This record gives sequence, C-alpha cells and structure tokens, in this order.
Amino acid sequence: MNFGKSRKAVVVDGTRTPFVKAFSDFVEMDTIALGKAAVKALLVRNPIPLKEIEGIVWGGVILPATFPNVAREIALDLKLPPTVEGMTCTRACASGLQAVTLAAAAIERGDADVMIAGGSDSTSNAQVALPAKLVQKFGPLALGKGGSPMDYLGVLAQLNPITDILPRMPKIAERTTGEVMGESAERMAQRNGITREAQDEFAERSHHRAARAIASGRFAKEVVPVQNPAGATIHNDGIVRGDTNREKLGKLRPVFAKDGTVTAGNASPLTDGAAAVLLMSEEKARSLGLQPLAAFRSFSYVGVDPADQLLIGPAIAMPKALDRARMTLKDIELVDMHEAFAAQVLSVLKALGSKAFAEERLGKRDAVGEIDPDELNIHGGSLAIGHPFGATGARMVTTVANELARTGKATALLGICAAGGLGAGAVLERI
Amino acid sequence: MSDFLLELAKNPQARRFIESLGLPIALPEQLKRARGAWVDRPLEGAKVVVYSGGRGELLPLIARTVIPAGAEVLVADGESAVASFRAPAEAFARKAQAVSASEPPEGTRVRAAIVDASGFDSPDALRGLYELLHPWAKSLEKSGRVVVLGRADGEKDAAKVATRAALEGFVRAVAKEFGRRGVTANLISVERGAEERAAGVLRFVLAPESAYVTGQPLRVTSLTRPNKQPGFTQSLRGKVAVVTGAARGIGEATARRLAAEGAHVICADHPSQDGPLSLVARSLGGSVLLIDVAAPNALDATAAAAKEHSGIDIIVHNAGVTRDKTLAKMSTEFWELAIGVNLAAPVRITRGLLERGLLKDEGRVVCLSSVSGIAGNAGQTNYSASKAGLVGFVRALAPEVAARGITVNAIAPGFIETQMTAAMPAAIREVARRLSALGQGGLPIDVAEAITFLSMPWADGLSGITLRVCGGAFIGA
Repeated sequence: MNFGKSRKAVVVDGTRTPFVKAFSDFVEMDTIALGKAAVKALLVRNPIPLKEIEGIVWGGVILPATFPNVAREIALDLKLPPTVEGMTCTRACASGLQAVTLAAAAIERGDADVMIAGGSDSTSNAQVALPAKLVQKFGPLALGKGGSPMDYLGVLAQLNPITDILPRMPKIAERTTGEVMGESAERMAQRNGITREAQDEFAERSHHRAARAIASGRFAKEVVPVQNPAGATIHNDGIVRGDTNREKLGKLRPVFAKDGTVTAGNASPLTDGAAAVLLMSEEKARSLGLQPLAAFRSFSYVGVDPADQLLIGPAIAMPKALDRARMTLKDIELVDMHEAFAAQVLSVLKALGSKAFAEERLGKRDAVGEIDPDELNIHGGSLAIGHPFGATGARMVTTVANELARTGKATALLGICAAGGLGAGAVLERI
Repeated sequence: MSDFLLELAKNPQARRFIESLGLPIALPEQLKRARGAWVDRPLEGAKVVVYSGGRGELLPLIARTVIPAGAEVLVADGESAVASFRAPAEAFARKAQAVSASEPPEGTRVRAAIVDASGFDSPDALRGLYELLHPWAKSLEKSGRVVVLGRADGEKDAAKVATRAALEGFVRAVAKEFGRRGVTANLISVERGAEERAAGVLRFVLAPESAYVTGQPLRVTSLTRPNKQPGFTQSLRGKVAVVTGAARGIGEATARRLAAEGAHVICADHPSQDGPLSLVARSLGGSVLLIDVAAPNALDATAAAAKEHSGIDIIVHNAGVTRDKTLAKMSTEFWELAIGVNLAAPVRITRGLLERGLLKDEGRVVCLSSVSGIAGNAGQTNYSASKAGLVGFVRALAPEVAARGITVNAIAPGFIETQMTAAMPAAIREVARRLSALGQGGLPIDVAEAITFLSMPWADGLSGITLRVCGGAFIGA
C-alpha cells in the first residue's frame, strides 16, 4: 500500500508478556496491567525520547466497561508524558493486528512518526454481566436519588429470580446466531472433511514448534519476564506442551458435539497476556539509529456470513492482501496464521488450495495455492502459545518481523480469523 | 375466521386422536413459510436428492443453484453424475455424495427431490420419475419439495412432445398426492439457452417463499433481454414500485415484501382508504398515492407520481373488485365497474406509463388475475371476464417489451384468507379451502411472495406467464 509513497511505516521492535492460561499466574492482573507490562518492556529496551511518541493504539476484546480506553490508561499508568495520546480499538480476534495497522496507516499518512501499538486481554478479569433487566430496574435507584431498602425490595419482587437476577457468565458465542465458537469450528470441520487425526497432528506440531522456539531461545527476544502482584516472576509461556503427542491428544474428549472432533487439545485456550509493537516512519527510525525489521506491504479485512462458515474469513482476506501487494502466494516465504482451532486453519488451507473456491468465492481462475507446512507457523501458533484475544495480532507481527530480519527472508503473509465472521490478512516485507 | 382444522392439526395429540379414529378428515399440514426478506441460503443445512436417470443436461444448473443456497446434495445417479456437483461443493464446503436411487439411506430426510428429466426423450424414459420418487416419497420432509426439470424446446418429434407433456400430468398428480404433508411439486421447463435464468426459478420453487405454489408448470425462456444481476438478497434496492390496492390484504402484504427487499413503494389505493393506506405507507417508508384506478385521471396521477421518481421499475396491478350478480340481473354499473377496475385500468395505466417512458428498462409488470376468475364462476361473468382478460394481456405485452428487459406476468391466486373470503358463507369457504392439494387456504403473504419473486431481477426467465398461487386448487383452467 505504500509503494510510490514517500513515507513508509516500519516495525522497529516488539515485546510481549508470557502467555498463560486464564485464571492462573496473571489472575490478579487486568488487561491494563498486562498491557502496561508489555509496553514498559518495549520502552526499556528502546530508550527513545518519550516525547517522540505520538500515541498508543491498543486492541482488546474483553474491555473493562468502566475504563474501555485501555491505551490511555496504559500511558497514564506508565507515567508517559501526558502528550502520548491513546485510543483503543476492537475487531474481535483481529484487534491486535488492527491496532498495528491503524498505527502504520497513521504514520504513512503523516499523522505521526512514532507510535506504539498492540493489544491485551485478560479473560480472568472478564466482567460478569448482570442481566439487562436488573440493571434497567435498579439503575435509576442506584444512580439517581437513591432509594430506601424497601424500594430495592419492591423492584426485586418484580423480577424473575433465575433469568432476571442471576449474573451471566460471559460466553464466546456469536450475538447473531447464538452459536459458541467451538460449535462453529466443529461444523467447519464437518463441512470441510477435516478429521480428528489431522487436527491433533496439527496441534502436536504447533506445540512441538513452540517448545523448540522456547528451548532454543528464539522467543527470548520477544517474551519479557513479568512479575505478578503475588511476587512471582513468570518467564515463559505457560500453555506450551513440548511433550504432548497425537496419542495423548487423541485421548481427549470432544467438547462441542457428541461425535465431534474439536477438543481442548486442538482448540486455542482462554489466555491472559499482552503484546506491544514499536512502529516508526522509516526516516525517524534511522535518525534515531534504530534498525527497522519489517514494513507492511498491504493488509485487508473482510467479513463473511457468521451463520455459514464463521472462521473462513482468512481464505478471502489473505488473497486480497496478496492482490493489494501485487503478489501471489509463490512470492511469499513465510506464512503465519492465527490458530483459533486446528479445524479452522485446516479449513482455510483447504479453501486456499481449491481452484473451485478461487473461482466461486474470489473470482480468480486459479487456486491461491498450497501452503508448505514447513513455511507455516514455524514457531507454533495460538494452539500452543495461547490466545489473549487482543494480543495475538501483535504477537504475530513481532514474531514474523523478527523472523524476516533474522533469516533474510523477504516476505511474509499473515492470516487471522475473528468472531462475527471477520477475516484479516497482511503482507509484511523485510526492510 | 381462522381455519379450525389447521389449528387443530397443529396440536400433535389432537392430530393423533383424529387420525386414530379413521375419520374421513384429511388434516392439513401447517406450511413452513419464509420470514422476512430473501436470504442468501434458503436451503441452509437441508438435504436435496437429485436424479437424472443418467441423462441429465441440467445437473450443472441444479448444482449451481442448490449448493450456494446451502444444501447438501445426494446424487442418486451414481458416481459419474457427482462430478457435476464437485466444484461448487468444494467452493462452498458442502457435501455432494452418491446414494442409491432405489434405497434411500436409513433415516435420511430430504427437503427436496429434484428430477432432471431433460434427457427423457421417449415415454419409456419416464420411468426415471418412478425410479426416484417411488422409493424416496416417504423420505421427504414435511413442507418438502418435488421439482421436475425438463426441456421446453419447440419439438417436432411426437414421442418427445408426448414425453414432455407427460411430465406436467405427473407433477400435478404428485402435487395432489403429497400435498397433505405440505409438500409442493412443480415443473420447470427450460428453453435451450435459458439455463442461467432457470437458477432463480429453481431457487424460488425450492425455497419456503413458494409454500403455496404447487402443481405448476413454469416455462423459462430467453424472451426477455437478460437483466443485471445484483445478487439474491436486497435485490430491489434503488428500485421504485407502485402497488395498487395497497391499503390491506394482498396489496398491503406485497407492499411490505417489496419494501423488505429494498424497494421504495408507492402505495396506491382508493381515496376512501386514506387512513389505512397512510399507515401502511408510513410503516414501510413508502409514499401514498390516492387514486381511483378506474377514474379518468388515474393514469395522469400515476404518471405524475412516477415522474417524481424519474420513472418506476415495478407496477403491481392488485386493485380489484367483485360485483357479483347473475347476468340477467346484473346492472350496467356492476358490469362496468368490474371490467373497468380489474381489466381496463391495468391495461390503460400500463400502456400509458410505457408510452410516456415512465416504466424503466428491466422493469416489471405484475397483474393480479384469479383462479376462480379464469375458471368461470356463476354470478361472476363480469369478474371472470376481467380476470381472464389479464392472462391475455400479459401474454401479448411480454414480447412487445422484452427487448427492454421488462417482464410482464400475471398471478392467479386461489383461495386466500382475506377480508373478501372471510365474508363468504361458512360452508362454501370450508369447501373452497379443502378443494386444493394442500388442503388449506393461502395467506396474503403467499401471493405477496410470488409477486415479489416475479419482481426480482433474477426472475428474468419468466415473462408472459400466469403463475397460480393456489395451493393446487382443484378448479381452474
């Protein structure tokens, strides 16, 4: 998107907290605290003048209802100069990538020279919602003049004790269809003929690759230790199981359908964590003596019918991003896809490899192409590393940018599926 | 007045009780109807069985229609026929698999059974109809569909003509036989070269929108210049429609349906209907046109309203009256009113709009005829003449405007539960309801659905026809 343009936004660095299972080590850290940890580490490692930072763009899915502008809270909590403004965006599981591309676009438009972008989520701190009826009845009393205890009792008597009063646990279900995401993945597995074995094999590979990345120190550049309020320091991702294998995974029971194929082992787990990326105009980076890692050549966001194949979006967004980059899959050396479910990734791969899909759904004559498993998610993905909804996009950008800089590969393609039938794609190139 | 038998039949206990008594009462099936505007996948999750006796030319058409509509396909022709379904199935991640024609898999329920009879060229080949529908008859869901697809070419070979004519009789009989379970049966004859256009017609007869259309032969032709196709949903966005008689009943339902598909609707009715008409127009964001269609100024008033929108795309001539009397006792006024409102007005207004260039290219004219009108009713000489006249009008006008992409069609409703039929004597009403394949009256929405379908850009394969929305009524020509 930036060819021919004078300004180019570059990724300079990226950091993230370890990703841990929800309700474990980070249970006492909300999404703001997690975000703060990731941004702080980024600024410690890159001692740029703080007043150079124009603002923070942050992605999140489970936003704190009272303080939804997480970006600004992070800046204030870190005591950054008050001039560092902040905005928070949400695009379901693509929120992290959304934040990064918003920052890149702002830089390329000339609105800013230095931005921090990223995302975080703490499922552990999801706010349990009171039924709307209860809020609507008590709100006027509580927020208005206040009422006597008898007033409250009077209102209570009008409500159904089960459906109107008991708080609802948050659920990852589609608002329009009511379908839980795992059920959507299960239907996609069925419709695309993705077997349990294929899913478990894919999950096994994700874990093995992530474990290897941790053991080899490859993630050391990206993952920063975080001390939790209890005083414990968390160094590594908590979900990766290097010793798992398809036999062990094969023993898990399907969760979403009786004879189903989607299990806790081949689905991404509820995760707490944060990831942050430092973006600059190329000029500014060089003037500050920083070596850029990569730049966005294109990105694309699409929507599909959530009642059809909820998570097939990347099969449309990734080719669209390639088109915008004036590239084909053959020009791509590295592919990184968000692994919401093994079944979902494998369904998208199947669609990308299908000539019929390309003709009917993309208006192309030829299939987008087969993706070499050796080039896909080479350091594992969300199945093994975990998936703090808002953080995943920024994690992927960081890992891929580092990989391009480290290996000398020139191009990478990203793909993310998201609730609501959304899909995201992006092409990154080495600088 | 509500249909007592239909209400009773909804209660499973009552249904079982009545059936166990062995009374000669056929309980009608509550029809599955569509809710709201057209959706992308009206067949989501449904199974469809397809058979062509190994000679089908229209299998690709079927594949490209049912799979994007959300169906899973069972191909009863064996592996080689599955090839026609493979690419769309892959693109839309739906299953297309071979099954045995003679033995439906245990417990399988299908929404529709489709026979591609395009290759049936001799009476012997008709056996294909039996080969699929004999074993699968009991595997159809309630409110399911039987569709036979055939060819409609001009044909000199008498054996072929006989075979094609046989399909019509077969479909009518199936409609009557399966109707008690809410199943409809229709025949689509596809002219060579009109295959693409048949997709929209096939979609309609398979969808819940056609719940009350059964026993009908539909001829798909290339008569009309192909229309631009904006897709199956919200396909009337940016279009302007005039519906006469829109204050209540079928007219109101039609105005609402057209608006739901995105059209701006000019709701027209007699000045005496000002109050209810305004309510309808306001609730659907349309405008009001108060006219007496038979009055001398009706054309000018309609033209003025059309001009405000720089022309209109759709006109639905729904306003109609009955003035029943035996011919010997009928007054001149009665005669002239029925003919004037029902026939002369649609003819004059349509002609006038065309002459003044106010009906746009790819436009639609839909006239409301009537099954009982066409059949001829004692005491309705005026009404029957007017309603039969419309059949001729659309047949003659269609080729005249075809080059502009305009279609002209008529709808012939059967017994519809409206204020007009509620005023009938109870015994006659009860008989009228039951004398149809589906064993019940239709609803205004059923007629509105058919009118809306004919107004779609994707109905450009049908022109000059009279589509009956009659639940397979036993009467009529």
